[in-house]
Amino acid sequence: MAVANPDDRGLRLFVRYLVLTLIALIFIFPLVFMVMSSLKPDLQLLTDTNSLRAFLPVGDISFENYFAAFERAPVGLFVFNSVFVTGLTVILSLAVCSLAAFSFVFLNWKGRDLMLTVILATLIVPFETIAIPLLLIASKLPWLDFDGLTLGWLNTYRVQIIPFIADGLTVFLFVQYFKDLPRELIEAARVEGATWFQIFRRVVMPLSGPVIATAAILKFLAMYNQYLWPLMVVQEETYRPVMVGLQYFFQLNRAWGEIMAYLSLITLPVLAFYLYLQKAFIASIASTGVKG
Amino acid sequence: MNFRSLLMRDIICFSGFTMSIQSKLTSANRTGWLMALPTLSLITLFIIVPLIFAFGLSFTNQRLISPNPTEFVGWKNYYQLLDLSFVKLSPEVDEAGAAKVNNDGSYEYPRIRTLSRSNPEYEHLRGMREWTSWQLGEDRLYLMARDVVFMKAVVNTLFFVLVVAPLQGGLALALALLINQRLRGINLYRAIYFMPVVVSIVVVSLLWRLIYDANDGLLNNLLGTLSFGLIPPLDWLGSPDTAMESIIAMSIWQAVGFHMVIWLSGLQTISPTLYEAAAIEGSNKWQTFRYVTWPGLRNTAVLVLIVITMQAFALFAQIDVMTQGGPLDSTQTIVFQAVERGYGKQDISGGSTISVLLFIIVLSISLIQRYLTREKH
Amino acid sequence: MANLSIRKLKKSYGDTPVIKGVDIEINDGEFVVFVGPSGCGKSTLLRMIAGLEDITDGELEIGGHVVNELEPKDRKIAMVFQSYAIFPHMTVRENMAFGLTIAKASQEEKESKVNEAARILKMEHLLDRRPSQLSGGQRQRVAIGRAIVRQPSVFLFDEPLSNLDAALRMDMRMEISKLHKQLDATMIYVTHDQVEAMTLADKIVVLKDGEVQQIGAPMDLYHNPVNKFVAGFLGSPSMNFIEVRVNAVREGEVEVQSNSLDPIWIPSTIDAPTIGEQLSLGLRPQYLTLCTDTHEGKLHGKVVITERLGTETVVDLSLKDESRIIASVAEDAIFAEDQEVSLTFDPTQAHLFRDVRKSNS
Repeated sequence: MAVANPDDRGLRLFVRYLVLTLIALIFIFPLVFMVMSSLKPDLQLLTDTNSLRAFLPVGDISFENYFAAFERAPVGLFVFNSVFVTGLTVILSLAVCSLAAFSFVFLNWKGRDLMLTVILATLIVPFETIAIPLLLIASKLPWLDFDGLTLGWLNTYRVQIIPFIADGLTVFLFVQYFKDLPRELIEAARVEGATWFQIFRRVVMPLSGPVIATAAILKFLAMYNQYLWPLMVVQEETYRPVMVGLQYFFQLNRAWGEIMAYLSLITLPVLAFYLYLQKAFIASIASTGVKG
Repeated sequence: MNFRSLLMRDIICFSGFTMSIQSKLTSANRTGWLMALPTLSLITLFIIVPLIFAFGLSFTNQRLISPNPTEFVGWKNYYQLLDLSFVKLSPEVDEAGAAKVNNDGSYEYPRIRTLSRSNPEYEHLRGMREWTSWQLGEDRLYLMARDVVFMKAVVNTLFFVLVVAPLQGGLALALALLINQRLRGINLYRAIYFMPVVVSIVVVSLLWRLIYDANDGLLNNLLGTLSFGLIPPLDWLGSPDTAMESIIAMSIWQAVGFHMVIWLSGLQTISPTLYEAAAIEGSNKWQTFRYVTWPGLRNTAVLVLIVITMQAFALFAQIDVMTQGGPLDSTQTIVFQAVERGYGKQDISGGSTISVLLFIIVLSISLIQRYLTREKH
Repeated sequence: MANLSIRKLKKSYGDTPVIKGVDIEINDGEFVVFVGPSGCGKSTLLRMIAGLEDITDGELEIGGHVVNELEPKDRKIAMVFQSYAIFPHMTVRENMAFGLTIAKASQEEKESKVNEAARILKMEHLLDRRPSQLSGGQRQRVAIGRAIVRQPSVFLFDEPLSNLDAALRMDMRMEISKLHKQLDATMIYVTHDQVEAMTLADKIVVLKDGEVQQIGAPMDLYHNPVNKFVAGFLGSPSMNFIEVRVNAVREGEVEVQSNSLDPIWIPSTIDAPTIGEQLSLGLRPQYLTLCTDTHEGKLHGKVVITERLGTETVVDLSLKDESRIIASVAEDAIFAEDQEVSLTFDPTQAHLFRDVRKSNS
């Protein structure tokens, strides 16, 4: 609609941006509050909530809370555990699921269609419905290593990693992507003498950058932010990830400053990563929506 | 954030896709199985087996660690959870047979405990507790439940789902429409609206605990300051009237960006030529939305609604971090109950029973979605 | 030796037969073209030769060895795909060396073979480029280069020029022809374009519905088509067919006539023609000549559409019985719409066909 009056146009634009910005403030204010509070001593932090000072780095600013948090709880250990578990799961998941997807799309084998249907059917099963029985199973699974045979996977890294390596969503994403690859590329490689594994490694995976990024981002978020499962299966401090480590900060005195520091510590890296790659993040989510 | 709940794809359509390369069956057979084996074994062991176990365990008295062997108990767990009874009571009468009226005009009724404790007339009520009641004229209709907390959990969860689904879905759509403009810097706004999605719900819950705090909470103080003291501070998480609602607001804040993005991709699949045609016909904003935008969004709408619903039924982390089911069981949820039993009380069979019930609910919803998005004609 | 022998080759998808018993002999160094309409099975046949499709029945022999059960890489073949199928994430050099890299060949071997192929195709300057930086024709050459590096017994081409524009297609056609002479290799080439078939082939195999219609040299098929399908498939504009009645029969000749055709004797190889039988008379547009004198003409009709192409004029005529034929006359003749025209032709250039089946599709 053509606007005759140029002032009108400027006004409408201003209003649009105003609305957008107000809404943006709603989304951002708690996070700003969190970071600012992490820099303030408890007393000031709490009184600052009375005013806009809550969102400003004013007063007695320091990293004191962060140091205190490290003393109260083995934060470094928790971060290491989270990074280790998340990183390893993402890498293994990408490898295992892409390999399976490759076999579903490019190979013809007995039972293939049934197996794919079964895997995709598991998309309907929310984790919460299998968490309890899985807890029982995990407590009784055997494991063979240098110390011999042990029973039970609780309080280990493997209980946090292995159950999540294969999942229907990652397989689905790779299957969809592989289906769109030009089949003649695969055929040409076969004529050139490549084995199926060689085709996977040299032809298909190098061309799979986008789906690898999507799958990795989704898996990373899911694993890093996990709460229910590690809560149940990892009691010992040695193996606890960051999300469960929160409980340390709820002892007798509630030190909000330290809590905010801890929260900031475990969130800011992810946020930074997100802001840097936000296009990829959002595209990941969008692609699951489109395919759904 | 449960991504597994995202895709309610019609599974049958995948079995129908054609393979692109025929190959010698024997060698491809072996290679195919080899490549798929890790995934298949892991999914079988860690998703399919637990699911089957859930069903099986719900018929036993399994505990996490127990010296006694596990016994089969039939439907007992389900009975314990789901048994409900209605009891209609007439008011206490005086010697003349007329109903006794209290000072405040209410009637007196026999105490329920006398019926449920050891009354031979009401054998089936033994072990049940009063859940709620309604007035019917002079009589009072009591609803008894064998597990009142679980019932409350179910009701709370349903409440959460029924409020969050349309609210979050609708807000997400509104935001998507807002973001769908071609303005400079719009991507920055999109990035900000999406930001809470990336933050763990646990972090969000803890953060909002301080925001919602009764004494030093940011929300109370801000509201007080903005209203010049007119709005009194509320104990958001401590009062049964506001606890669930507060959690609802926070959950929506965290997740709405996610669904905004899904709506956005749906919006962007609507052909721009349709909008142009509408503009030529002189359609205004509302009409354009109703006749061009909305029909093209139908499948996205179903997807968004289903995903929100499924995620909503799984409500747990917020409760665990913020309220632990209280105050007065007003924030009990199905999953929280499952975890409390299975993990807290080590009652695996009880937790499994609840898991089975949850699965049935979720499965029904996904079947409904399949039905709603089926290919017509 | 790089000869090929296809014996009673069959293929079915489940219960549906797609290739219904094909016999073809290909000699060392021949350029053979499989041609036919879409869905005739020519690509399937090529892929069976390559090993990308299973053979349901019959035998395939390459260089004297039966290769039915062999993997593509063991058959000593190389294939050029319609979409070129060059790997976007590798350079041209890496693309061409791919087969050798897979086979863990030495660096020297890779270099020498790749450089040699690049020299033949005159693309040394492209070796370090990526496919995204290449034009369609250049990509096609990379695909061919990759095939050359394999040093196969047989080259297989699957409609390689379909994705190119018309001008480029003609250039590439000539390049492929030159390549054939230069390498002296056996080449099997699939196309739906009969011009490519006619110009490139030593031998053409015409396919329809999974069956061989005719095999022979291009001119052989052009002048002596064995059935209506082959006759109508080769040549452009395609052959006209007129339904005629047999009037009289003589040794090696048949007199035919129709509502639009005056009686005329045609030399025929039809087996035991009977009087009154319906036959199809095939007349190529180029062999119809205009008659100035209407009495000389055998066919009479009215002009419907004229296309003047400069070197020739193509006229679409409506005959007395409402059927249409096309005549291609030399030079720049001008016709008015509805102009009455008479045509004649040399009977030895005409063909007679008996419809074995119903002729639809």
